Amino acid sequence: MVRVRSPQDFWAGILFIVFGGAALWISRGYAFGSLTKMGPGYLPTALSWALVAVGGVLMLRALAIDGPAIERSLVAPQLFILAAIVVFALAIERLGLALAVVLVAVTSSLASRDMRWGETLALAVGIAALCVLLFVHLLGQPFTVWAF
Amino acid sequence: MDLFANLATGFGAAVTPVNLGFCLFGCLIGTLIGVLPGIGPIATIAMLLPVTFGLSPLGALIMLAGIYYGAQYGGSTTAILVNLPGESSSVVTCIDGYQMAQKGRAGAALAIAAVGSFIAGCVGTVLIAAFAPVLAAFAVKFRSPEYFALMLFGLIAAVILAHGSVIKAVGMVILGLLVGLVGTESQSATARFTFGVPELYDGVDFVPLAMGLFGLAEILSNLDRSRDRRPAATMISTLWPSREEIRRAAPAVARGTMIGALLGILPGGGAVLASFAAYTLEKKTSRYAAEFGKGAVEGVAAPEAANNAGAQTSFIPLLTLGIPSNPVMALMMGAMLIQGIAPGTAIISERPELFWGMVASMWVGNLMLIVINLPLIGIWVRLLRVPYRMLFPCIVVLCCVGAYSVNSSTFLILMMAGFALLGYVFGKLGCEGAPFLLGFVLGPLMEENFRRSMVLSFGDPTIFLRRPISLCILLAALALIALIVVPQFRTRRDEAFQE
Repeated sequence: MVRVRSPQDFWAGILFIVFGGAALWISRGYAFGSLTKMGPGYLPTALSWALVAVGGVLMLRALAIDGPAIERSLVAPQLFILAAIVVFALAIERLGLALAVVLVAVTSSLASRDMRWGETLALAVGIAALCVLLFVHLLGQPFTVWAF
Repeated sequence: MDLFANLATGFGAAVTPVNLGFCLFGCLIGTLIGVLPGIGPIATIAMLLPVTFGLSPLGALIMLAGIYYGAQYGGSTTAILVNLPGESSSVVTCIDGYQMAQKGRAGAALAIAAVGSFIAGCVGTVLIAAFAPVLAAFAVKFRSPEYFALMLFGLIAAVILAHGSVIKAVGMVILGLLVGLVGTESQSATARFTFGVPELYDGVDFVPLAMGLFGLAEILSNLDRSRDRRPAATMISTLWPSREEIRRAAPAVARGTMIGALLGILPGGGAVLASFAAYTLEKKTSRYAAEFGKGAVEGVAAPEAANNAGAQTSFIPLLTLGIPSNPVMALMMGAMLIQGIAPGTAIISERPELFWGMVASMWVGNLMLIVINLPLIGIWVRLLRVPYRMLFPCIVVLCCVGAYSVNSSTFLILMMAGFALLGYVFGKLGCEGAPFLLGFVLGPLMEENFRRSMVLSFGDPTIFLRRPISLCILLAALALIALIVVPQFRTRRDEAFQE
């Protein structure tokens, strides 16, 4: 049984191979061309192979050389932040800038374990006011402040 | 003399009420994010890129540059007073700076760091003014083979000088190059890697990529560590260093400035590398070697001078060759492109007010920073009490609004979330975002220059070896690779990054 001795390197290698392989698969449809007349597929193909090769070396080396373990992820806080960004994408055109910012600030604050509601709401309203002032009034960006 | 006429043009352009305002604003923001751990100049400049859309080109560049060197000043404050690096370039300052603070010399350490940074900043500015025009004049002869060789050299240097594993950095550069190829190919108008998304036809937008990869990914990984309990800051009694401290700090500042200025110009260099190298050199050569780690003045003076000198001189490759040497410069290049300025040899001759205005603003900015940092130190110390749980929602909001303001597309917001996740996962696996960003910025340029070289030589790849300048650059790149293979250098590199 082969043992992974350097988990960080091993998984980084796998990711490189996956990304390189996917890029190779997508770029198979682009004309390759030749050195004199490089087609649109020339560099993507070459770089994808290089990435797969680097990933392969990294993965194999991880079986032979010891390395640090992967630091644990708490998962929940990260999901809150990513959810906050998605909430903003959904809310900005439907609700307008002011409410979208409040929603992002509150959702992302949930990522912290010592979050306090009063403080968070005050902060959210404060940032929303600042964003409207900065982006709409000072910079003149074409945002809708209230969408309804 | 020409130089003085040019500097007069520069001061004329930089010393207007509006541009002085931008300079002060940039320096203040820079100091602020320098003091606050958990947010650095890369993330901040990325977040402020959308804000610069409506500014004048000079105002935008003055402000963004101010953030970078301002952060070098602010970072030392946190390092000395709370033993936390406010900035990655002040990691080494913690070692001796905090020890000095423990001995009641916090004020002296802060003063030496600030004055050392100021001297280094002035020297760095003079170096840019003196060398950039010469280098630009030389680089006018460069054609696509030289540019391709130079970019290759830059990427190799960035990989070798990066922290951590070389092979992982290579992988990140290649991945960055691939992402840089996304969009419509210039020759055949083939849409590459666009998945039918119209927002991708012009390539992956720089602003959401940088904000996701640096600003947001940083938050995601910070949330895995509970670091809201910050140790109390040490009290400051007097800001005046003793005569003995000045005597020992002065030559260290001079050495730090030299190393910093040199490493700043190198591709892959910049403030972080400069401070590490300067500290290592001081420790190796000092008569007071035994005092290092126990509060040696040199251990504060040299790296602080070096990081500011490096921050200044790293503008040289961007302003003369149009090649960014580190991620911050990649962002500055993005800011220039947004303003419709093509970075390269032509800037100095065609837009002298822009180049010299920036140089003049750097000197003015350094002058402002020493005032911002020394007499007003109390304000910054108080800011350290702002808990992280109130800081990161602000960053998330700014990133979201910024990404949307690029062209009012919700796709860019979601793409930013994707890059945040990518940056977080790769961070867990010990892969850095910096080489990725450089690959991303240089990818399209390299493809273009490689293609032109091949057309020029009718498909003969030896063209890179037959042109003397490109041959020299490639030999230098080869020498760098040889260095990393030599085991002796390798251990020394690991040692330097471990400090």
